[in-house]
Amino acid sequence: MKMKLMRVAFRNIARNMRRSILSGSAIAVAAMSIVLLFALIQGMRDDMANNLKTYYTGEIRLQNARYEEFERYNPIHLTLDWEKIDPILAQESFVKAVVPRINFPANLYIKGTSHAVMGVGADFAREAAFQDTAAIVKEGRLPQAGRNEMLMGSALARDLELKLGDRVTLLSNTASRGSNAITLEIVGLSAFPVGALNARYVWVPLDRAQKFLLMGTDTQEILILLQPRTDEAEAASIIRNDILAITGVDTDTRSWKDINVLYSLIDIAQYIYYLIGIFFFLLGSTVIINTTMMVIYERMREIGTLSALGMQGHELTGLFLMEGAFISSIGAAVGVIAGMCITFYLGKAGLDFTDAMSGIDMEISSILYPHFSIWSALFVYVYAVVISTAATLIPSHKASKIEPVEALRYI
Amino acid sequence: MKRRMVFILIAWVCIAQLPVFALTAEEIIGKIDDIQTFSTSVSSGEISAKDRFGVKSSTFKAWTRGTSDSLIEFTSLAEKGQKVLRTKNELYLFYPDAQELIRLQGAALRQSMLGTDISYEDMTGEKDTLAQYTAVLAGQETLGTHTCHVVVLTAKTRSVAYPMQKLWIDTQSYVVWKSQYSTQSGRLLKELEVLETQEISGRLLSRKTKISDKTRKDTETTLTITSLEIDIALDPRIFSLENLTW
Amino acid sequence: MKFVLSLAFKNLTRYKRRTLITAIAIAVGLMMYIMVDSMLVGAEFESMRNLRWYETSSVRIHHPDYWKERLQLPLDTSIADPYQVVRLLDGQGIVATVRTTFAADMLLFAEDFGEDGNISTLVTAVDPTLDNTVFHFEDTLVEGRFLAPGENAVVMGSWLAEDIGAKVGYWVTLLTRGNGGFYEAMDMQIVGIVNCPNPNVNRTLVMVPLDTASAYLAMDGAATELDLRLSDGVDIDEQTTRVQQILTSAGMDLVAYSWEELAQDYLAIATAKRGGSSAILFLVFIIAAVGISNTMLMAIYERIRELGMMRALGMPDKDIRLAFLFEAGGIGLIGSLAGVILGVLVNVFMVEVGLDFGFLMRDMDMGYRIQSVLRGVWNYKAIVIALVAGIVLSMLVALVPTQRALKMDIPECLRHQ
Repeated sequence: MKMKLMRVAFRNIARNMRRSILSGSAIAVAAMSIVLLFALIQGMRDDMANNLKTYYTGEIRLQNARYEEFERYNPIHLTLDWEKIDPILAQESFVKAVVPRINFPANLYIKGTSHAVMGVGADFAREAAFQDTAAIVKEGRLPQAGRNEMLMGSALARDLELKLGDRVTLLSNTASRGSNAITLEIVGLSAFPVGALNARYVWVPLDRAQKFLLMGTDTQEILILLQPRTDEAEAASIIRNDILAITGVDTDTRSWKDINVLYSLIDIAQYIYYLIGIFFFLLGSTVIINTTMMVIYERMREIGTLSALGMQGHELTGLFLMEGAFISSIGAAVGVIAGMCITFYLGKAGLDFTDAMSGIDMEISSILYPHFSIWSALFVYVYAVVISTAATLIPSHKASKIEPVEALRYI
Repeated sequence: MKRRMVFILIAWVCIAQLPVFALTAEEIIGKIDDIQTFSTSVSSGEISAKDRFGVKSSTFKAWTRGTSDSLIEFTSLAEKGQKVLRTKNELYLFYPDAQELIRLQGAALRQSMLGTDISYEDMTGEKDTLAQYTAVLAGQETLGTHTCHVVVLTAKTRSVAYPMQKLWIDTQSYVVWKSQYSTQSGRLLKELEVLETQEISGRLLSRKTKISDKTRKDTETTLTITSLEIDIALDPRIFSLENLTW
Repeated sequence: MKFVLSLAFKNLTRYKRRTLITAIAIAVGLMMYIMVDSMLVGAEFESMRNLRWYETSSVRIHHPDYWKERLQLPLDTSIADPYQVVRLLDGQGIVATVRTTFAADMLLFAEDFGEDGNISTLVTAVDPTLDNTVFHFEDTLVEGRFLAPGENAVVMGSWLAEDIGAKVGYWVTLLTRGNGGFYEAMDMQIVGIVNCPNPNVNRTLVMVPLDTASAYLAMDGAATELDLRLSDGVDIDEQTTRVQQILTSAGMDLVAYSWEELAQDYLAIATAKRGGSSAILFLVFIIAAVGISNTMLMAIYERIRELGMMRALGMPDKDIRLAFLFEAGGIGLIGSLAGVILGVLVNVFMVEVGLDFGFLMRDMDMGYRIQSVLRGVWNYKAIVIALVAGIVLSMLVALVPTQRALKMDIPECLRHQ
C-alpha cells in the first residue's frame, strides 16, 4: 500500500500543479529569506572577527606582562624584546605570520594647535603577510622604512585639511618617559575598511617609531596569525612558555578571544541578529503552516471521496503527509538554493553599507560580504521541511477523522 | 636723677625692641627677589623625577637673562638636543627630529615638563611677585636648624595659577627653605623644599631643590644645580629663535 | 449593488474556516510587521530622545564666541546674566535651565577608594531646582539623592561609579582651573548615583550644584550655557529660530543651537541604522505579503467552480468580480483589523514595558543611545500602512484569479478542480 500511496501522492501533486506551486512557493520564499538573513549575520560576524584580527589584535597578541595593569597611563616604556622573540616565533610551526606593532597616543602639532591622534608603528614589509597592504592605501603609497613618512587616515586628513606631501609634527611621550617630536611627511592616505581607523590613526614605519620613542629595537606588541585550524588558546600558552623558557621573561600572551571587550562585541551583535532571525523563522513558519492548512481544507471533498472509497484514516494522514513532505522538500530546496545563489553573488560583490556605516564606532567594515555556509543552508532546509510536514500533520489527521458523508458535503 | 635713669632705661629697652619688627613682608620679598635675580646666569644640573614607575634622570644646561628669558638645553642621552626657550610669556620647544618649533600656549602650558612635577607654566611668567600678590608676615618658625620668617602671599588677581603661597624664609640668609602653593582655601597643590644650598658670588642659592605635586601620590622631582655662574656676559643671540633651531 | 454586497457578506460567514484561516494569515503577517517596525523605530526614537533628555536638551544657548572653543571648555566666554534669559524665555512659555561645564581632574583617595588615583572628568554644574524641568535625571536616581543648592556634593553616573568603585558617601576632590586660570580644588561628597538610559552619560557623568561651582570658579554669576526643553514633536529648526529671535529682539548677544546641531558631535548613526532597519522591514513585509497572497489565491482558486455556477446562472461579470473583490476585501479587513489589534496589544507591552537587553549593552559604543530596555513606539504611520496594505493586497491578489476565471469558458469553470 505504501508504494501505491506514494504514487497517489505524486499524482495528486502533479495533477494540481497550481496548488502545489502556490504552497511550495510560500515555503520557498520563507526559506530563502531566512537563508539570506543568516548569511548576512554570518558575514557580519566574520567581518568583525576579521577586522579585529587584522587591525587590532591578531589571533594571538603579545604584550609586556605589566602593560595591562598600567594601561591607563600609556606605559610605552613597558616593551617586548623583539629581537629575542622573533626567532622563537619563527620556530613555531603553527604560526603563519608575525608582525611587531607599536601603538602610541600622540599629538599632531599643526600651526600652533595640537590634535590628539593614535600612532601606530608598523613594519610594512612584514605587514604584507598579515593584511592586504595594497588595499589599505587610498592615495599615495605606504611609508618606507628608514624615512620620516607617515600614512594618515583619509578622514583625519580631511578633517585637518591636510593632503599628500604636507609635513606634520608628531609629539609623544617616549619610552624613557621624556617626550619627543618628529616631523613626518604624509605620503599616503589610508582607506581601511573600518571607518574608525581612517578617522584617528596615523601609521609610521616601525624603525622610525622605535627611534622617535627611544625604544631601541623593542616593540610594544606582537600580533600573530595562526595556521588554519589551530587552537588559539593552546597556541598562546605554548608561545608564552617557550618565550619564558628561552628568554626568562614572562609575557602577556593571549588569544584574541580572551581579550575581553573586543571579542564580546561579536557575540553581542550576533545575539541581536539571531533574535531577529528567530522572528523571521516564526513568520516564515506561520506562512508555511497557513498554506498547508488551506490546502487540506480545500481538499475536504477529495478526502471524503477517498474515505468513502475505503482508504483508512492513517493511510489518509500518511497520504497528505507525503504530499506535504514532498512539496516542502522541493519548495524548501528551491528557496534554499535561491538563497544560496543570492548569497554567493553578494558574497563576491559585497553589500555596500558605506553611507550607512560612516560614523559608527564599531569594528565593522563598510562593505559586507554575506557568508556562504553549507551548514546554515542545510539547517534551514531541514527546518523548513520539518515544519511544513508537521503543519500538514494536524489538519490531515483531523481530516481523516471526518465522516465521509460530511466531507463529501463540504464545499 | 634716679627717675631720669629709669626713663632712659625704659626708652632704651623700647628702642632696642623695635628693629625686630622693622622688616615688613614686602621688604622680605623684595630681598628674596634681589638675591634670586641676576642679570644673567649659566648653569648646569640634573632633574630627577620619581613616579609610580621608578626614577628618571635628565641633565641640562641653562642660560638665563633677567627675569623673563631662559634657555634650557638637555644633555642627557634620552633628551639630547632638546631645548626649551622661554621669553616673556611664550614658550618654545625644540626637538632635533622635528623640523619646526613647537610653541606652547594656553592650556598646553599646564603639561608637565619631561614627566616631572614641574609644569611649563611654572616656568613662564614674570617673577614680579609683589605685583601679583599681597604679602603678609605671619611670624616666625623654625625649620630644622633654620629660623624662618613665614610670609603668606595672597593673589591679587585671578590669573595667577596659585592663589596662595606660603614661604619659609631664612631670617639670616633669605633662602626660601620651603614654599607651599595652595588654592584660595589653603588646599596644598605643590611644595618646594630646598635641600642643599651653595654660595655663589656672595649669595646663598639653592643647590638641591625638591618639588612635589601634592595632588598625586608618591611623585617628587629633585632639581640639582651642579654648576652656576651669574652676572657674566652672555651673547644675546642665545635667546633667539634662530639659536633654538641651530 | 446591495445584492452583491450581501452576497459577499454571506460568503464570508458561510466559509468560516476559510475566512478564518486567510484572515489569520493576514493578521499574523501584519502583526509582525507592526512589531518589528515598532522596535526599530523605537530604538531610533529612544536614542534621539535619550540624547535630548540627558545630553543635549532640545535647544542650547551659548555666548557667540563659545562654540568654536567649546572643546577647550572655556570659562571666560560665558553668558553674563543667565537668569535674566531664563526669565525672558519663561515669559514666552519656554522652560530653561542654567549650566556650566568644565574639565577637572577627579582625585580619589585611599580612605574611600582603596587606593589613590585620579581620572580626568567632564563636570556639569547644574541648577538643582531648575535642571529637572529640562532634563530627567532625578527620575533615574538609583542611590542616594539629587543635589541641593549650595552644597559640596556630586552626583555620578552609575557606570562611572562602578568603574572607579564609588559609593554614596565617598569624598572626591575636583581639581580644576577657575575663570582666569587659578587652581582650585573642590572637596565634594558623592550624594547620589543615577542610572539613566543613556549609556554615554552613565559612563561619564559628574554633576555638581551650579552655585557651588560658580563660587569656586569665580564665575561672578555667569554660566557657560542655557538648556531649553521643547516638546518632542515640534519642528526643531523652526523653534530654534524662534528662540534666536526672542534673544535678538531682547538685545542679547547669544546664539541658540538646536539639538541636531549639537548631536553632530555625539552621533552620526541614525541615518545608518535606518538603512539597515529598512532592509529588515522590507523582508518582513515580503514574507507577510507572500503569506497573504498565497492564502488568498488559494481561497479564490478553490471557488472557481462556484464562480462558474454564478456565471451559468446569469450573474453579470461585473457583479461577480465585485462580489469576489468585496469578499476578499472583507477578509482583508477582518485580517487587517485583527492584525492591527494584535499589533497594538503587543505594542502596548512594548511601549510600557519593553524588552530588557541590559546585560548586553554595557561596554558597547554602538552609537545608539539606548541602554537596557528596548521600548516600542507608537508609529501610527506604520499601523495605518499595515491596515491599508492588508486590505489592498488582499483585494489585488483576489483580482488576478477572478479575472482569469471570468475569462474562461463557463464549462471549464465548472469543471475546475
